[in-house]
Amino acid sequence: MAVKEMPALPNTAAQAVDIQERRKPLGRRIYEGRVAYTMLAPTFVFLLIFMYYPALLGLYRSAFKWAPGLDSDFVGLGNFVQLFTKDRVFLNSMDHMLQLAAWYVVSTVGVSLFIAVLIHRLRGGRAQYTFRLGMILPVVIPAIVPLMLWKFIYDVKVGPLNLFLTWIGLESWTRAWLSDPNVALYAVMLRNFPWVDGVAILILLAGLQAIPYEIVESAMIDGATEMRRFWSIELPLIAGQIKLISVLTIMWGVQEFTAVFAMTQGGPINSTMVPGMWMFWNAFRINKMGYASAIGVVLFLLTLVLTLINMKYITTEEY
Amino acid sequence: MSAAGTEMRVPYRRSRGEQVGVFLRGDWWRIVLLGLFLVGGIAPLVMAFLISLKTIPQFARQPFALTFPLHWENYGFAFEIVLEFIRNSIIISGVTVLGVLLLASLSAYAFGILEFPARQPLFYLVLSLMMVPSAMTLIPSFVLVKDLGLMNTYWAMILPWIASGQVFAMFILRTFFESLPKELFDAARIDGASEWQGYWRIALPLSKSMLGVAAILNILGTWNNLIWPYLTIQRQTLLPLTPGLWAYQTEYFTRYGLTMAGLLIGSIPLVILFIFTSRWFVAGLTSGAIKV
Repeated sequence: MAVKEMPALPNTAAQAVDIQERRKPLGRRIYEGRVAYTMLAPTFVFLLIFMYYPALLGLYRSAFKWAPGLDSDFVGLGNFVQLFTKDRVFLNSMDHMLQLAAWYVVSTVGVSLFIAVLIHRLRGGRAQYTFRLGMILPVVIPAIVPLMLWKFIYDVKVGPLNLFLTWIGLESWTRAWLSDPNVALYAVMLRNFPWVDGVAILILLAGLQAIPYEIVESAMIDGATEMRRFWSIELPLIAGQIKLISVLTIMWGVQEFTAVFAMTQGGPINSTMVPGMWMFWNAFRINKMGYASAIGVVLFLLTLVLTLINMKYITTEEY
Repeated sequence: MSAAGTEMRVPYRRSRGEQVGVFLRGDWWRIVLLGLFLVGGIAPLVMAFLISLKTIPQFARQPFALTFPLHWENYGFAFEIVLEFIRNSIIISGVTVLGVLLLASLSAYAFGILEFPARQPLFYLVLSLMMVPSAMTLIPSFVLVKDLGLMNTYWAMILPWIASGQVFAMFILRTFFESLPKELFDAARIDGASEWQGYWRIALPLSKSMLGVAAILNILGTWNNLIWPYLTIQRQTLLPLTPGLWAYQTEYFTRYGLTMAGLLIGSIPLVILFIFTSRWFVAGLTSGAIKV
């Protein structure tokens, strides 16, 4: 490891030292690493108790019919079989999750890209700075606040959305947005209009600003229009950032259920149920802990597959 | 905001006349569009502010426009309740972030600077945890915390959050430590410094801003967690801010003036933090983009 860090010339000397190091007996090298192991010890104590143990226990419990305090029955893959063959709510929740994740990706990438390009094209440095700051500011509002506000906006009687629709003469469009099974999922999905995502904007903007100006300039001299500049130069050069945001958003969308939890708890009639919420419901409302653990394992496998796809097919650079 | 102003360098400043010229040359429609996005994003907060000054009858008569007299006492009422949540959150997130920084910087130093057998395997063992979603550990962690008798204590949140938070913090700190010149540490060793001194006197002072970034990210994560405190804390006096606001809104749901005032007061602490640490915020928010 140390060899790579060294400049070219003293490489051989360093290698010699390294080989010498490696010739020492293992026991001695472990002894000499005692400071390092001491430094790592607290980290691993915490990880063993609060990360590895729960993760492995979750895996183990997913093979049981289990409620705390009661005897558990080993059912092998029974929980998974039931999930994917009999549990309509779970299958629907996977469908909802896919719809939500797809929308999150489209809206995050679309809106953020639009805003990032607009900010990038501003000519005044001060205006760029102001809008950049303005777009990240909402990050510091606790996430629960917009969720609660949007729950209010969708309210059937006093919600501004219905009042607005009545005011512009579309009274027939008004409805109980979060209690109508036909629209509740879309209401959850479309919350936070106009979907400004400060983090994504920052990442995309950094990508745009890293494009050497000579490239853009030579294209402009050759008569490229603004649209051409975007489609043929900027978009290909920030493809890495776009992929990164998509991957992060999808992985977040698979696990996330705070929004559903705070706005609808999965209702009405399970029309906004997502797997995370269904897991919560099984574990803490009807005490089917083993079954809920199985849902957790499914979410883990989904994340794992997405990560592997990400590592294999999508290379991201540092920015 | 003045703190923020000094952080990012504006490359050059145009004269007043030039600025007007820029405006006329075609930036105006971009500024209008961007302004609309900003207004759209802030509108719910403005709405919350307008409603927060109303009594129930005022809201029933005229839900959105300003109504007089303004009822600032809604804020007094909400403040008494929300202040306790804020205090809990500051203790919980504060202790968590200190634990995370200590553990993460120690292990990052070991992984980034020191040589020892099984370094790489141990590192991958930690890194693999970044793939384990919190959903997977939610139920077993709950049972564990219950068995340890930590329910209804701050520790029910602090201990698991230190464990999970340190992974990402360690990762960004290790990357930073590795980028420091090796000669610094070699020179200190030759002068007889121990590795502990290398950690405390060289690595930590040099990485202040990286520690700040890791701290901000960690605080944002714990501050916004709703589900875990909701599960482990039943006593309202121990609730942190996020589940506290949720419980508060549920309790006073139809008294809109009070709930809106509470939500706005609850937003203040992070805004203050942001004002003083905006540079770390900006760097921290994009550090999710570092390659793994």
